[in-house]
Amino acid sequence: MIEFRDVDKWFGSLHVLKRINLKVSGGEVVVVCGPSGSGKSTLIRCVNRLESIQSGEIIVDGQSLLDPKFDPSKLRTDVGMVFQSFNLYPHMTVLQNITLAPTKVKGLAAGEAEKVAKELLDRVGIPDKAGVYPANLSGGQQQRVAIARALAMKPKIMLFDEPTSALDPEMINEVLEVMTDLAHDGMTMVVVTHEMGFARRVAHRVVFMDEGQIIEEGKPETFFGAPQSPRAQQFLGKILSH
Amino acid sequence: MTYNFDWSVLWRGQSGLWLLQGLVTTIEISVVAWVVAFTLGIFSGAVRTVSITPLRWLASFYVEFFRNVPLLVWMFFWYFAVPPLLPQPLQDWLFDHGAEFWAGVVALGVYHGARFSEVMRSGIQSIPKTLFEAAVSTGLTMAQAYRLIIIPIALRLIIPPATNESLNLIKNSSVALTIGVAELTFQTRQIETYTAKAFEALTAGTLIYLVLCLAIATTMSQLEKRFAIPGMITKRQTGEF
Amino acid sequence: MKRLLLLLATFISVAGSITVARAETTLEKISQTGIFTIGTRTGSPPFAYVNKNNEWVGFSIDLVETSILPLISKKLNKQIKLEKKESAPNTRIPLLTSNAVDLIAETMSDTQSRREQVDFSLTFFATGAQFLVKRGTPIKGIQTIAGKRIAAQQGSTNAKIIRERVPTAKLLEFPDQPAAFQALAQGQVQAYTNDGIQLAGLKAKAPKPDEWAIVGEFFSYEPYGMAMRKNDSDFRQVVNVGLMEAIESGKYFELYEKWFGPKGEVPYPLAPETKRFLQMQVVPK
Repeated sequence: MIEFRDVDKWFGSLHVLKRINLKVSGGEVVVVCGPSGSGKSTLIRCVNRLESIQSGEIIVDGQSLLDPKFDPSKLRTDVGMVFQSFNLYPHMTVLQNITLAPTKVKGLAAGEAEKVAKELLDRVGIPDKAGVYPANLSGGQQQRVAIARALAMKPKIMLFDEPTSALDPEMINEVLEVMTDLAHDGMTMVVVTHEMGFARRVAHRVVFMDEGQIIEEGKPETFFGAPQSPRAQQFLGKILSH
Repeated sequence: MTYNFDWSVLWRGQSGLWLLQGLVTTIEISVVAWVVAFTLGIFSGAVRTVSITPLRWLASFYVEFFRNVPLLVWMFFWYFAVPPLLPQPLQDWLFDHGAEFWAGVVALGVYHGARFSEVMRSGIQSIPKTLFEAAVSTGLTMAQAYRLIIIPIALRLIIPPATNESLNLIKNSSVALTIGVAELTFQTRQIETYTAKAFEALTAGTLIYLVLCLAIATTMSQLEKRFAIPGMITKRQTGEF
Repeated sequence: MKRLLLLLATFISVAGSITVARAETTLEKISQTGIFTIGTRTGSPPFAYVNKNNEWVGFSIDLVETSILPLISKKLNKQIKLEKKESAPNTRIPLLTSNAVDLIAETMSDTQSRREQVDFSLTFFATGAQFLVKRGTPIKGIQTIAGKRIAAQQGSTNAKIIRERVPTAKLLEFPDQPAAFQALAQGQVQAYTNDGIQLAGLKAKAPKPDEWAIVGEFFSYEPYGMAMRKNDSDFRQVVNVGLMEAIESGKYFELYEKWFGPKGEVPYPLAPETKRFLQMQVVPK
């Protein structure tokens, strides 16, 4: 579904991704973790072309992002993304946030889009918030709307960029539950997160990055049980100690 | 020696009519110029924040070129320098149909468009970049993301500075008297000529401008309340948006 | 909003009740400061303008310097310095009433309505309004301007007369002479009206004087006088005596020759009846 082949990326002189090779198959849930500044966010932002790469190749759903005929908007209808800062449209209601892209991009009729939106709100557990503006929702509710907004395009892949980092602790679980449901429904997911409990329970594979490189990858039980590299051991030691 | 105030000059003879005509012309030239300025400003201000370098460069050139030359010079430019470049019949037609008014409109519109552009640009730049990324992540094109998300939000944010610019535009419309547009300031001078009562005429003009500007400022602040994004103010205070 | 309205009301009532009180007369003011300030033009050759050498000169300025300034110095028994400030039709009366200048010496016509605000000296030049056109245009005078685009100077008496007598003419008023002439040269207007003598000055200064023609009978009478603050007869006496002495001694006609003679800036022969009129203004000592 997603394949990175020898990908390199620089921000100016800063080498943020170094020779990345990674494959994610359909239906797989991959958690990317690592210390801050390790390049994990940049990695998933490359998948939907929010970042461009300087060398190597990325293939998403059988299509190379380097293809001259490649259309980023088209790709993004198949790849949903959820951000750390929710990024709901503040001037629109929850319902309008969710129906915007389906009506404007896919040309769905308004009634049809609203029906889909209401089903999705039901699915993320806030069916009663359709007419509310984002500012009147809690962080956890906002993030669930953001997930519903991404799902409204019926994507094949979902990218999560630290979806719970900006949330108060008591709201983290409500978002993780939605993500877990999604994983159980067979969605292909790449999740950047520090929620190791989620990784252990839901991920098929854990990828550990540091300084722009993939240091280690493996099944959660192997990674958390017996990390191979000293850097992964050190990282896990730090975040699991509390 | 004393200066004898005689306020009756303002309603004796034609003074009242002239003030009214001046006010109408001031409103006409300001409204048309405002539409030009606002359209140019929104468009070029938005273009200045996109990642397409040639477009951005073009918009920057427009802004810097037009806002860094005095308005008076632009008035003369559009009235005296541009018409000779047009074919003779068109020139005559223009001169017979208020060329000075249209030259004034273009001068004011293009000059204030450049200033509106800066207001718009800073409005857009105060919106977190990730909001734009979220919009395009759902498959919206860049143009759609600007039209549906970024510009509507920016428009709400810029109401206070845009009000300021709009008032500047109205006040600057008086510069058009240099190319013979008979607007409000022109008419107050006219009254002064006929009655030799400078203070009364100028006071009348001043008060009319003041009332006009206050009315607009009030309307705009109503507009700001009406279109306020729910929760935006509290959000901004906590620094989240 | 309420407070603003209150503020407005206060502003109006204060402006309405001010009487600009002045303790001293013009001569006292000049004596105290040692400076005599006149308001004059920068673009009205040959009365007052900035010449090629960047000097601020002209007939009106010469009259003040040679005939009025020495008299003031003599009267106050001290050396007085002359200072010039720029004035325009819209600013000259406020300049006077606000004490910024003591005398307007340029091309200001003496009129009855102006006399309600300021006092005038005796007439030092008489002219009337005409039209400046491109040679060969059908405009021949005020009878032929209906429907035509006519430029005038903002605040001039000529504009007022055209508006009243030929309301169908499309009148465009410009704040100064250069802008009006530019509009004529480019075709924005078909004629420019001003006092005949001023048009003669403009024509003489034009790059190609032969391209232009001054047409029409005088459609107004424009007696130029020097304006000063109202009800200051001591000062007005000095100004008038200065002008009378200049006419009587012939100094006036020397200056006329300098500026309007065949070799002058704007050749404009003095009509015998005008000369007689000037001389008749001189009252016996």
